[in-house]
Amino acid sequence: MRRALDRGLHIVCALCALAAVSLLAGIVVTILGRGLPVIDWSFLFSATGETAGSGGVLFQLLGTLLLLFTTLVVSAPLALGWALAQTVFSPGPLWQRGLRRLLYALNTVPSILFGIFGLIVFVKYLGWGKSWLAGGILLAMMILPTITVAWVERIEALPAKYGRAAAGLGLSRGQIVRSVILPQTWGGGLSGALLGLARAAGETAPILFTAAVFSGATLPTGVRESPVLALPYHIFVLAQDSFDPATGGHLWGSAFVLLATVLGLSLIALPWRLGLAEEATHG
Amino acid sequence: MIRSWTRWASYAATAVVLCFVLSLVSSLVVESLPVLRQEGLSYLSGKTWHSRAGIFGALPMIYGSIVVSVIALALAAPLGVGAALFSAEYLSGRRRWIVKAPIELLAGIPSVVYGLLGVLLLRNWIYELLEPFDPLSGDTLLTAGVLLAVMVLPTVMTLSDDALRGVPASQRRAARGLGLTRAEGILRVSLPQAAPGLAAALLLGFGRALGETIAVFLVVGRQDNQWPETLLSPRAWFEAGQTLTSKLGGSETFVAYGDPLHWGAIVGLGLILLTLVAGLTLLAGRWLPDGRRHA
Amino acid sequence: MRRSSVGALVLFLCATTAPAALRVNGSTTVNPVISQAAEILRREASIEIQVDTVGGSSGGIAALGDGRAEIAMSSRPLSRRDRERFPEVDFRAVRIGTDALALVVSGDVWNGGVRCLSRGQARGLYEGRIRNWRELGGPDQRIAFFNKEPGRGTWEVFAGWLYGDADSAPLVSLLEVGSNEEARSKVGSTRGAITQLSAAWADGETTFPLSICEDDGDEVAPTRASILAGDYPLARALYVVTDGPAEGAARRLIDLVLSERGQVIVERHGYMALTAPVQAGGAHP
Repeated sequence: MRRALDRGLHIVCALCALAAVSLLAGIVVTILGRGLPVIDWSFLFSATGETAGSGGVLFQLLGTLLLLFTTLVVSAPLALGWALAQTVFSPGPLWQRGLRRLLYALNTVPSILFGIFGLIVFVKYLGWGKSWLAGGILLAMMILPTITVAWVERIEALPAKYGRAAAGLGLSRGQIVRSVILPQTWGGGLSGALLGLARAAGETAPILFTAAVFSGATLPTGVRESPVLALPYHIFVLAQDSFDPATGGHLWGSAFVLLATVLGLSLIALPWRLGLAEEATHG
Repeated sequence: MIRSWTRWASYAATAVVLCFVLSLVSSLVVESLPVLRQEGLSYLSGKTWHSRAGIFGALPMIYGSIVVSVIALALAAPLGVGAALFSAEYLSGRRRWIVKAPIELLAGIPSVVYGLLGVLLLRNWIYELLEPFDPLSGDTLLTAGVLLAVMVLPTVMTLSDDALRGVPASQRRAARGLGLTRAEGILRVSLPQAAPGLAAALLLGFGRALGETIAVFLVVGRQDNQWPETLLSPRAWFEAGQTLTSKLGGSETFVAYGDPLHWGAIVGLGLILLTLVAGLTLLAGRWLPDGRRHA
Repeated sequence: MRRSSVGALVLFLCATTAPAALRVNGSTTVNPVISQAAEILRREASIEIQVDTVGGSSGGIAALGDGRAEIAMSSRPLSRRDRERFPEVDFRAVRIGTDALALVVSGDVWNGGVRCLSRGQARGLYEGRIRNWRELGGPDQRIAFFNKEPGRGTWEVFAGWLYGDADSAPLVSLLEVGSNEEARSKVGSTRGAITQLSAAWADGETTFPLSICEDDGDEVAPTRASILAGDYPLARALYVVTDGPAEGAARRLIDLVLSERGQVIVERHGYMALTAPVQAGGAHP
């Protein structure tokens, strides 16, 4: 009886794990299968055609890349600052806990609210209209927790002896940060950034109101009234006309490109994260 | 004390982010004041939303949001906890990543891709599945719930895995030493010990489901004022509905832009959403041991 | 080092005063024509034109009124409500073509024998009093009414036909669709479905336009003939709207659409050009 339970539970859990993994496999295979045939050089490097669902996704891809670049530039320094404030420069354990909690709270804010906030601040009050910069800033704030947490973990995983040795040599805290901590921990920040960018690449809600249009934009010429095209928004709009067989192939192809971008970014970060997790549990 | 610009730079960065968070919350409050002032509590308890007539009742959308999230969690929790159990209790070291890596990748799939799969595939499956119940279309609360289940599965699984691995190995060894089978060790020792972390995992998964916009928008039907005859009846799940997020992500937000009352009503939905998610996060924070990463 | 990069960023932000592109916003019915014309202007005259259809006709007019767009596309005439909402805006509507609105149904309804609908029946459907197609001589199937969002030009024309004035339409809660694309998608893939849609968008394979049954028993189909003869009650004009007379890039776009080349585009998308000839024998006695 007890053995039956033992075996039974083992099987049930294994099945659950199998189901979860198969879901991923199924999703990736579906998109691969339907999207890959559509991908060729012209799909990646030509602009969308006149009729919806024709042509390629060049400017959508470029727009997404521009947004990602902006996001990185805005969020990386802020994430580093927060990470340092939470660890090295933390005034006390209370602050540390408070900052950490706040970070987790920020991470759970639904992405649509970033979009609504962007509409209020950038479109309404600043009068920027649709702007790639607004999109980049919003996305940066959205992924900030991801980068910060990864960096904090890396900083906290640094052996204390490094800091003590440096202090013993007479280095100030600031100098310790610049010459010891940063060089040793930038990998953590990078992996966090890659993960964050992977998430930002796929987000539609924050840019829905503030940065993306469906057609008519190529490369931005300024800050105000300079929207971009973006892969997720492109798919979102087309998905609402999904029944038209003419759009079908193009839609799957776009989804494939987006998925490849996102998974590519995540995969690059994976080895770092693998190492980090094992360190955290065994270290 | 040596003046250090690095220290102050990092404090400044923190201040910038804090500013952002504060202005996000306060802008939601400020912009929704018109509707709160005009409608007061009936904004929350009103069952009808007719923007043309200036009637704004958010209750059916709160109902919709909660229903799809409950369905999502009901499906994702067993699967996620089961998979986490497998990875935490039955696998070791490198082999764990056979399960963990795909799950982490699953977490990274953009919601618009899920939405696409929902529109092109899931919708039709549910439509066929529900035929005996004579559904109006494949866009139902159930469809949104199932789609969300797949989306929050990684969150639930990763956090449950963290919680289970937080149970010290010594406890497991002690259980084996006492002659308990692995299953009994799990059921009597690991699960109860990990229970707070598991509860937090479920709460955070619920919060994630509440906040999802794009995928839900595409498959939920977006029918306003759907209020079930009996509150807990699953019959209503086979009909279309509207959630807080599906309304926010729709074109009504643009149309409402210039009109203070209508705009206030829309932003108010965002405020309700934030409150719900923040409440869940706070609750989960009590149970989540400090210092845990989360997906 | 930091100071100079901050300075560079500030300079960049200040220097970005390049003239904004032409922004067009509004109806998904008018959109295919304007988008194609915009593409031509972009290629030939290097004019940047951004086209967006997020809020439909009302969204476009609101964008024009709020200053978020230079041209609004509308598949309905401007209303009193529009002018009241934006009293300082000098709305100038230019007609660019004619379209017919139809009640479009899914294949199972069409093949099940439902070919026309009267105004009274349409009202019954909209208000939820008629719930099954068999009440109209069709198959035994629940009626899935995909209502165009109020605010969409198509909806306003429909509501105007049913109730005289869109503002008098009763408040109903039906499944909602936004764009024409979405409406066609949903109807094509759902049994027993019906929606308000431009007749040109019904493809005749998965979506079919119903005729209007008049009180005297006549069935008027949304064909070119009946529209041009003025028999089809749901014919409507397609407009582009500006604040004050159109200037610059906006003027060029509108001129292009009104030109022969532009009108060919109008026809190609299934609508009727402004100067479409009246068909012989189209008039009803």
